[in-house]
Amino acid sequence: MKEVKLFLGPQHPGMHGNYSVQMYVDGDIVKKARPTPGFLHRGFEKLMERRLWMGNLALIPRICVVEPDINEMVYAQGIEMLAKVEIPEKAHWIRMMILEMARLAIHIMGLGGIGGPTGLYTLTYWAIAQRDLILDLFEEITGARVYHMYIVPGGVRKQLPDGILEKLSELLDELEVKIPEYRELGLKHPIIHKRLKDNIMLPEDVVWEVGITGIGMRSATNKEYDLRKVQPYARYDQVEFDVPVANYSDALTRVNIKYKEIFQSIRILRQVIEKMPKEGEVRTKISTGSALRWKVPAGMVYSAIESSRGEYGYFIVSDGKEMPYRIAVRGASYPQGLLGIEKYLVDCRIDDASLWMDTMGVCSPEIDR
Amino acid sequence: MMNSMNNIMKQVDDVLNVLNKEVISNRQFAIDINKGDVHQALTYLKSIGFTQLSIITCVDLIADNKFQLIYILNNWELGLFVIVRTDIDRDNPSYVTVVNIFPGAKYYEREVHEFFGVTFEGNDSSFKPLLLEIWDDIPPLRKDFDPQVYSDRKFEKRDSDKIYRSKIGGVKL
Repeated sequence: MKEVKLFLGPQHPGMHGNYSVQMYVDGDIVKKARPTPGFLHRGFEKLMERRLWMGNLALIPRICVVEPDINEMVYAQGIEMLAKVEIPEKAHWIRMMILEMARLAIHIMGLGGIGGPTGLYTLTYWAIAQRDLILDLFEEITGARVYHMYIVPGGVRKQLPDGILEKLSELLDELEVKIPEYRELGLKHPIIHKRLKDNIMLPEDVVWEVGITGIGMRSATNKEYDLRKVQPYARYDQVEFDVPVANYSDALTRVNIKYKEIFQSIRILRQVIEKMPKEGEVRTKISTGSALRWKVPAGMVYSAIESSRGEYGYFIVSDGKEMPYRIAVRGASYPQGLLGIEKYLVDCRIDDASLWMDTMGVCSPEIDR
Repeated sequence: MMNSMNNIMKQVDDVLNVLNKEVISNRQFAIDINKGDVHQALTYLKSIGFTQLSIITCVDLIADNKFQLIYILNNWELGLFVIVRTDIDRDNPSYVTVVNIFPGAKYYEREVHEFFGVTFEGNDSSFKPLLLEIWDDIPPLRKDFDPQVYSDRKFEKRDSDKIYRSKIGGVKL
């Protein structure tokens, strides 16, 4: 039979963001797949070289739309490593709280997002509504719902508002009751279960070949390869949490791991509420200079943290001036979004293609930058 | 943790021809390698546990008329990063691919070719465009590429009677 060329995206309900895959299909089986990124390329790496260190802070959250805080964190952490600045204790805890809230928000959205390609939209609506409650808290803490610009080099922008920890605690209570309903409705649903179980496999050798990190890696290797455990940053070495792993990676396993990680984030947040210092500064200066114009000592550093999709890093080069010399972004979904699609979307059914993207964790803005 | 990093650094120093090494933090170090030894270095590092290639990128050292290729590897067991650096000529930038050691390098090399103009022998796909569409100028992440000149050439000027400037002044964007 003759192969037909099909475009999945950039305008497609099953597609995450402005991304496209050209699929050559025979019947309903994909025979060849070519990722086509670039619809969202905004030249961030060049823009960053032409802006002040502080000015970049307004730019970088845009690199990943649904989880912007990781950008602020890697950027701030990299600058602090270059300048050898130790930030106040309380700022570490606030950062951890922000990062875990962001992880909660994106994991809930991802868990609900599974309803998109499988056709169970109720799950998606629930998830968007739950995520909004977290965004409400973000708005109260940072003043913005999506792009917070709250984690800054040297700490965090300002103190937490009064009573926010109590509100967070109440929200966590609510989430703990609500999230199991997602499992009842979604993951145990016979149709979704059938679509996910033993489908879209990810063998361990593919993980190493392509370089997949995050949930994909942990679901296939059965090892706790999580940068929060392996190279603890902020104060992750002072809280207790488990890293869910598995040694058989089908779509259902990966979604289940995402589900379990939500509860681990809740567990971390509860400890943060309990252990966070009540008093203390939250911000320190990186170097002398005005609040906006300051210099970072020359050097190069690779700063990486664990995002919801895996290792997320910035390679930062400074020449000691007011602007960065070079910043390279390592998007966590770069390996699976390009080489992964090219090699392993093959032999997948057309209707599973968007499920493939969903459970592998492909995020187009961080591939394009 | 510092101990295991020191051990690894010593091992690497014994086996490889390291030009220069630098401790960046207690979980990260950088080594400078001759242009010809990078494949040997990456193979060796992979064999001692640096099994994941995090990123390949490039830095334009225009003052020295060089490109610096950067390979960052991750050791998940020990929680260590190593940055392997090598200098190549800026005038006729070309290098040999590492896809036979790390297959994941394919698209990183393609991106470095697109943004810096470095060609990678053995990686044919690296010549295809990836993110940029119908690009007709020098590779954009080179330091001598000026976006202002490019946009003046490419787009019409719009007349506006209001000019918005930042108050801190002096920053030419």
